[in-house]
Amino acid sequence: MAGERIWVTGVGLVTALGNDVEATWSRLVAGDRGLAPLDLFDTTAQRAAIVASVPRAHELVPRGGPPRRWSRTTGFAWKAAADAMAHAGVRGQAPRRVGLVVGGTTGGMFETEALLGELHVDPARTDSLVEMISQPLSATVDRLAEVLGPFCRLRTLCSACSSGANAFAVGALWLLSGEVDVVVAGGSDGHCRLTLSGFNALGAIDPEPCRPFDVRRRGLNLGEGAGFAVLERASSVRARGGRPVAELAGWGVGAEAHHITNPEPSGGAAARVIARALRRAGLSPGDLDYVNAHGTGTPLNDSMEAAALRLALGSDLERITVSSSKGQVGHMLGAAGAVEGILSALAVERQVVPPTMGLEEPDDACRLVHVQRHGRPARVRAALSNSFGFGGLDTVLVFTEPELGPPPAAGQRRVVITGAATLSPRGLDDGTSAAALVDGSLAGAPAAVAGRIDFDLAPHIDPVRGRRLDRPARLGVVVAARSLAEAQATGRPLDPAEVGIVLGTAFGSLDPSAAFIHRIFEKGPRFASPAEFPNLVPSSPVGHVSIYLGLRGPTFATPDLATSGESAVIQGIELVASGDGEVVVAGAVEEASELVERILLFLYQGGPSDEMAGPRRPRSEGAAAVVLEAEAHADARGARTLAHVDAVRSWTEGSPPSIAGPRLVEGARVVLAQEGIDAGALLDGTGWASAPRTSVSPVAGEHEAIGATALAAAVALVHRGGASEVLVLGTTRGRGHAITLRAPTARAIPPTR
Amino acid sequence: MDLPLLKSEIKALIVQELNLQGRDPASIQDDAQLFGSSQDGRAPSLGLDSLDALQLAMSVEERYGVRIPEGPEARSIFASVTSIATYVAAQKPSG
Repeated sequence: MAGERIWVTGVGLVTALGNDVEATWSRLVAGDRGLAPLDLFDTTAQRAAIVASVPRAHELVPRGGPPRRWSRTTGFAWKAAADAMAHAGVRGQAPRRVGLVVGGTTGGMFETEALLGELHVDPARTDSLVEMISQPLSATVDRLAEVLGPFCRLRTLCSACSSGANAFAVGALWLLSGEVDVVVAGGSDGHCRLTLSGFNALGAIDPEPCRPFDVRRRGLNLGEGAGFAVLERASSVRARGGRPVAELAGWGVGAEAHHITNPEPSGGAAARVIARALRRAGLSPGDLDYVNAHGTGTPLNDSMEAAALRLALGSDLERITVSSSKGQVGHMLGAAGAVEGILSALAVERQVVPPTMGLEEPDDACRLVHVQRHGRPARVRAALSNSFGFGGLDTVLVFTEPELGPPPAAGQRRVVITGAATLSPRGLDDGTSAAALVDGSLAGAPAAVAGRIDFDLAPHIDPVRGRRLDRPARLGVVVAARSLAEAQATGRPLDPAEVGIVLGTAFGSLDPSAAFIHRIFEKGPRFASPAEFPNLVPSSPVGHVSIYLGLRGPTFATPDLATSGESAVIQGIELVASGDGEVVVAGAVEEASELVERILLFLYQGGPSDEMAGPRRPRSEGAAAVVLEAEAHADARGARTLAHVDAVRSWTEGSPPSIAGPRLVEGARVVLAQEGIDAGALLDGTGWASAPRTSVSPVAGEHEAIGATALAAAVALVHRGGASEVLVLGTTRGRGHAITLRAPTARAIPPTR
Repeated sequence: MDLPLLKSEIKALIVQELNLQGRDPASIQDDAQLFGSSQDGRAPSLGLDSLDALQLAMSVEERYGVRIPEGPEARSIFASVTSIATYVAAQKPSG
């Protein structure tokens, strides 16, 4: 049975070329360059400051005092998302299940970096703390849900420069799974001192307007803005007589596992991701007419990308047109993949290929069919959009004319769990011993502690290979490696090339960011630490783990605050169920952070506490991971299954959870991520209402990775025979997730209501 | 400037800034190749990469108040501990 085609039915753009689609597109094709000296903040001590800035940005950002001050990033997202939804006519139709997924890297960093720098030296500066907490990466999703909602499903993603592209891929997965009817997906990022200083410290910025693919290219120019699209299944669009902009025919998501900032030079790793995207689209290079390149203008990227395109597209590359839009809109980081994906879709819709501005003399290493000086009409049946992010996190999207290639394969695959690991005050546990986190009868469980866990990570990490890993990355390596070891304890070993990893992390690296900013303010941008900068983006731990363990499957971070762990596991399940990953390690890491503790304590004690709910224990450190695997894959290699993933249910404010009951009430257990969850309200009327309930927090502590810990403990509970079915619940501020696991033997009976 | 003292300071800086945990700074030979892969017939390279070069350049600039030029000239300055020390001493001839 054929699956549903995914159609783009609405688009919205906010870029340096204009705050709407038509302004951006017409100026793009005309060859206008939106580059100028940055004037958002003082740049006198910066090495280079030519950027692409959104015009009249203040008009897009609603005014308002703390704690509801909107960041530039959120303002851009709002305009682009609202435009896309208006274009698709989403609001005007009968109520449907609408999901929202947003990619980004900086969030409200511009608005808070000065505060961070001060907090680094003066912890008593509490007046700004409330504002701090309203600006994490996930704030954009929260604000958009308030003004453009309701949305039935929400997710924040970070995979550095491929974040925006991954938002489209994840949105497509949601539509294919049937969990939502409409998806609003995109990415947004705004300028900030941290980003400009960091890229300058890496020597990655061209002090002049950039020159993608040019023999004299010297680096990138940063950009800002947002790109959002509405995605729907083709059948719904036809049913209402709508028309698509283009079809999102395929996508490939994978990691290079090479280096935290540099691309894998042969282009082989990126070529595999391009091939994966084409395979998913059911197309061959002969069907392709245009590539919107990552094309940053750095010496390393452009030659690697040309090599990757040669490897993946072969002799068709002599015919296929390639251009980079970054010479006009700059490198928009988390927004880049979404904006450029939309530009690729528009190339298909309008049969026009945009140019590579800044390109005068193509480098011999970048011998491609270039478009210079301005765009031109062309036959465009299918277009690729490339995004290659820090840590080697690559995503390639394929847009085509409607119904060009075959429809996607139908059906969701069954997902099992073959390994698990937790790091807690108990130390390191696996998918058998982690049951102690929820089973009070297992003696020797120390109480949760605040701050760092007393566990020596050193023996688990090679000092030479692991020298760049900061603490969150180290925690991630330990739990990922342990869970993968368990998954390979039986059956044939796994091939790291087909293993992906998704890690949740609530705040990213707040303390290191504060130190980085403070250093810029105190000593000047010239002394920003180049090696430290790549570690500040929320996708850094997952990038480092991918490199350290050589994992090359789909890789990204889910910074969803208190439910970061739940989001990561669900994201992993979605990837495996849809066939985009055979094996995905999914989990979360959370390091102890004085800064975060101070902010949260202040919020709870004194300030407006509507961002947080419930009493808080002292915040502790923790990490956990599970190995999610396609059932057929696990069976084929003869691996032992610890548990089956039965069902996943996510809900937002205003839409009830409607959790399906267990097959048999006997043998059913409920595991709560956070102690304070009002499980009674959620489970009344279901068969879970009378099942014994425990929380992992008394032993594992309280931190934002706890959802992953609860899941891993539930796996162990099932595996040990302590339960035949387990419901894992994680909630925050009216939103929540419920994941049901069952033992491999409890198969035949259908679930009760 | 006292060149031997400068060299040992630079070795300590390398270990600290590039997080070469557990490595004794004194074990880094003055003329050992710092960057890139080891060459046949020569002492093994420390195997540092481009990100390390940037970090080290920033640290040397900060510590000694000198300016490291960008581009190919930087590569020859950072070839070994000796070449770094020589460059720094040349920028700051007195004390």
